[in-house]
Amino acid sequence: MSNVIETIHLTKVYNPETIPVYAVNDVSLQIAEGEFTALVGPSGSGKTTLLNLIGGLDNPTEGTIRVSGVDITTMPENKLIDFRLQHIGFVFQSYNLIPVLTAAENVELVMLLQQKTKKERELRTKELLEEVGLADKMHCRPSELSGGQQQRVAVARALASKPRFILADEPTANLDSKSAENLLEIMERLNKEEQVTFIFSTHDPRVIEKGKRVITLVDGKIVSDTQS
Amino acid sequence: MLFKIAWRNIWRNKTRSIVVIAAVAAGLFAGMFMMAFFGGVVKQEVETAVQTQLAHIQIHHPLFPEDKGLDYAIPNGMELLQQLQTNPVYKGVSGRVITTGMISSAADAAGVEIQGIDPETEQSVSNVFSFIKEGAYFTAGKKNEIVVGQKLADKLRLILHGKVVLTVLDRDGNLTAGSFRIAGIFRSNYSTFDATTVFIRREESAALLHTGDQIHEIALLLKNGDQSDQQARQLAKQYPGLLVQSWKALSPEMAMLSSMFDQIMYIIIGIILLALMFGIINTMLMAVLERQREFGVMMAIGMNKVRIFLMIVLETVLLTCAGIPLGILFTITAVEYSHRYGIDLSGFSKGLSQYGIGNLIYPELQTNMLLPIIAMTAITALLASLYPAKIALKYKPATAIHKM
Repeated sequence: MSNVIETIHLTKVYNPETIPVYAVNDVSLQIAEGEFTALVGPSGSGKTTLLNLIGGLDNPTEGTIRVSGVDITTMPENKLIDFRLQHIGFVFQSYNLIPVLTAAENVELVMLLQQKTKKERELRTKELLEEVGLADKMHCRPSELSGGQQQRVAVARALASKPRFILADEPTANLDSKSAENLLEIMERLNKEEQVTFIFSTHDPRVIEKGKRVITLVDGKIVSDTQS
Repeated sequence: MLFKIAWRNIWRNKTRSIVVIAAVAAGLFAGMFMMAFFGGVVKQEVETAVQTQLAHIQIHHPLFPEDKGLDYAIPNGMELLQQLQTNPVYKGVSGRVITTGMISSAADAAGVEIQGIDPETEQSVSNVFSFIKEGAYFTAGKKNEIVVGQKLADKLRLILHGKVVLTVLDRDGNLTAGSFRIAGIFRSNYSTFDATTVFIRREESAALLHTGDQIHEIALLLKNGDQSDQQARQLAKQYPGLLVQSWKALSPEMAMLSSMFDQIMYIIIGIILLALMFGIINTMLMAVLERQREFGVMMAIGMNKVRIFLMIVLETVLLTCAGIPLGILFTITAVEYSHRYGIDLSGFSKGLSQYGIGNLIYPELQTNMLLPIIAMTAITALLASLYPAKIALKYKPATAIHKM
C-alpha cells in the first residue's frame, strides 16, 4: 500500500530562543493507506503537536511532511486551508461542532465549502449520519446531543469531504466508557469496510489495544512502533 | 450557510444582542427625532418669513433695496400688478407702498417701516390678518386706520382705537404727518417684525406721501412654493428692467439655514453612529474572543480566511441593521404624534419669537433622509466589523482549538 503520510526528521521546538522545548524531536515515519494507527504516550509527549503538524495546523521548526506525496510544509496558508478541506478529516477532543448548526448542517458545512451540489450534500449527509447511527438526530443542535453523539457527528463531518485520512486527537478523552467503545467500533468499521485511514492519539489503554499499529512517543521522540 | 451561521450567532447571547439592537434603535431614534424636530423648527421659521413678511417672490425697482427712496417706484407698477393678478400660477399678488417714518403716541415714539397696502389683496400674500389679537384688520368704510404689532403697542402704550401720528418725508422731501386710529393689534411669531412694521391703506399712504398710484413692491405668493427660484428667474427674464427676487435671495440667511440644516443633521447623526460604533466593536470583540475555539475548528476543517472575515462582517451588519427598523418605527410613531399635537415650548416663547418660531413646534420627518441614514448605519456596522474580524483572522487553528 502507498504512504499517505510521510514525515522526515520532523521537529517542532517551542521558545527556540529562550528555553527551547522540543515538542516533536526528529520524527520520521510513514503511514500507509488504510492503517488504523494509535499515537500513544504520556501527557506532554508530543502526540497533539505531531497530529497538528501532520494535519497542517501548525508549522514545523525543521523537517518535511508529505501528504500523498505533496510537501505541505512549504505550502502558503490559504492553499493549506484548501488542502486540509480536500484531503484531511479532523476529530478533536470534544466540543468541536459548530454550536449554532444542527448535526446535519455541521456535516453539510464541509461539503458546502467544497462547493458540492445541494443534492449531493443532502444525500451524503444522510448517508453519513446513518452510518454513525444518528439518522434520527439530524436536526438536533450539539447542545441537544450527548458527548458520544457529538463525537459521532464529528466523525461523520470528518468523513464528509472524503479525505485521504482522518486525524483524531484524543477522540474518547471526554467520553464515558460505553460511548468511547461505541465511537471506536464505528471508526474500526469504517477502517475495515471503507478503508478509511485513521491516526488517533490517546493515552487510554482500552483505546490503545484497538490500534493495529501503535506508535509510542516520549518527549517528542518515537520510542516504539509496533504493528499487531 | 454563512448567513445562517451569522444570524444564529447573533441570538446565542440574546441579552447582549438585544442591548446592541436597542442601542442602535435608540441612537437612530435620537438622531432622526432631533432631525424631525429641527426640520420642523426650520420649516416654521421659513414659513413665518415667507407668509408673514417676504412672500415667495418680490418685485422692486432695481435701486429700491438700496435706500428705499420713494422715487424708486416700480415703473407702470399698477399695470404690472393687474397683469400678474391674472396669472393662475400665483395664489396671491399684492402691491405695496413702502417707506420709513416715525410713529408717535402720547407716551413715546419709534421708527417704523410703513407699508401701504390693499387689505383685501394683502390677505392673499400675507397672514398678518390671522395674527390680529385685538380689533380688526381694517374696517370697511372707516378712514385713516392703522394696524400695529403687539410689541410696538406695548412700547408706545397704544390702545385699540387710540390715535397715533405718522411722520414721514413725502416724495418732494417735505416733512409731513398724518393722524391714524388703531384698528387692530397683531402678534405674529416674529417679535422684531411686530415692533417695526405698521400697515395703513395704500391710498392713504399715497395721499400722505404724494406718490399717486405708484407702488414700490409687488409681493407674490405661489401655489407651489418649491418653484420660487424658477418663477423668479422666469419673471426676471420677462421684466429685465426690474429686480425680481425669490425669498431665498431676499433672506439669504434663511436660505442658508435651510440648506445647512441637512448637513448639520448628517454630522450629528454621524457623531451618534460613531459613538454606537464603539459599542458594536466591543460586543463583536467579546463574541470573537469567546469563540476562538470555534474559529479554530472552522479553519481546521477548511473554512478560509475570506469566509471567516465575511461571516464576522455579516454578523455585525445583521446585528446592527436589526436595530434600524426599530429605530425608524419609534421615530415615525413619535414624529406622527408630536406632529399632530405639537411640542409645547411656551416656556421659551420670548426667545423663539425673535426667530419667527411659534410656541408649538411640529416635528416633520424628511423621508428623503431615511435612505442615507440607513446607508450610514450599514457603513458604521461594516466599519465596526473590521477590527473584530482582523482579530479573528490572526487566530492559529492549532492554538485556537485548545482554547476553552
